Amino acid sequence: MKQINIDLDNLKDEGLDSVSGMERRAFMKIGLAITGLFAGGKLLSVISNVEEAFASESDFVEQYPYRPHYSMMIRQGLCIDCERCVEACRETNEVPDYGYRTRVLRQRVTDAIGRQREFIPILCNHCNEPSCTRACPTKATYKDKTTGIVMMDRKKCIGCKMCILACPYEARYFNEEAHAIDKCNFCWDTRLSKGKKLTACANVCPTGTRMFGDISDPDNVVYKMVHQIEKQVWVLRPEAGTKPNVFYSKATRSSPWELRRQPEER
Amino acid sequence: MKNIVYFLVVVFLAAMLFKSGAVSAGDEPAQEHGGDIIYTKPVKAVIFSHKAHTEDLGLQCGWCHDKVFEMEALNMQKQADFDMDSLCNERYCGTCHNGDISFSTTTQCARCHIGVKGYNELVEQGKIKPEPKEKVVAK
Repeated sequence: MKQINIDLDNLKDEGLDSVSGMERRAFMKIGLAITGLFAGGKLLSVISNVEEAFASESDFVEQYPYRPHYSMMIRQGLCIDCERCVEACRETNEVPDYGYRTRVLRQRVTDAIGRQREFIPILCNHCNEPSCTRACPTKATYKDKTTGIVMMDRKKCIGCKMCILACPYEARYFNEEAHAIDKCNFCWDTRLSKGKKLTACANVCPTGTRMFGDISDPDNVVYKMVHQIEKQVWVLRPEAGTKPNVFYSKATRSSPWELRRQPEER
Repeated sequence: MKNIVYFLVVVFLAAMLFKSGAVSAGDEPAQEHGGDIIYTKPVKAVIFSHKAHTEDLGLQCGWCHDKVFEMEALNMQKQADFDMDSLCNERYCGTCHNGDISFSTTTQCARCHIGVKGYNELVEQGKIKPEPKEKVVAK
């Protein structure tokens, strides 16, 4: 076979003017962006454009502006829809029957082999760039400056429900008794501000589906679960651009069963 | 004469047998297993399908009854150790679901766990009777 010697380092970049739009798009579709053209168009230099195209995690996992930066990891492969989290949340935060701060969704894949159902717990994602707080005309809902929790000030709420429309995660409901919007606040008033380490839902979860913690702390379990490449981690509706703080993974546990639950004191 | 009477009796009995056989095979098929068992403790809810294990897989009754599971449905969930710890130590379902004979109880959680949603669905369909609601208190 004929050996071709090309001095790649010293090739002259001939510019992108002669690359057609169609050609660029073709490369974009396979996740590459053309950055240079060499040897009369026979050689192209390309880089991955996945970052821009799919709004990857790196956008929001690298920067944690709050201390502590409360976050939750949901290992949805472990969820069994026992709904103890939903019950505990109702008890702790006085959530009425018609409303919810957290729910468990069910997805069924009837043509799958073996397991055909999957449960997906959802709650407020406490986004770094929440769309609900921008929609609120009275600043009744706001991002807490120290903890990053998206809070509700019931006194300021006028019940216009704009935040319900703005939220991509359907995490809000109108509480008729309080005549205000109610939502998850990571049990700030009922537990965290009183020295408890976990939210009510994470505390009762028997399978360790819900792991709660401070993602700005490299020793924290949530940090460790997000910052790895063994198991895929994602967020819901990344296209909304809200930079959520609730992460999802399908990880199942292989270590001993009794270590599954997140201990209250760590 | 005696022979004729004897013959008629035999024919009559045969007809009865055939008839009863036809009825049980047609309108109400004789169920030779326990149907679906829905466990609600310690968590709501877990399904065990007798059909999947006997009709589809061809397992014999005696392989589980009475040593692994008592004949009376749901009797096992009254045991204090009827939980995932025991299952992972190859007791109850874990006798076979150990990753060796069949898939392990540490995998495919929602294959057997149908959850509160699955439970409520079965109640709506009238397949099981609803239980009185229990409240979970956060510690």
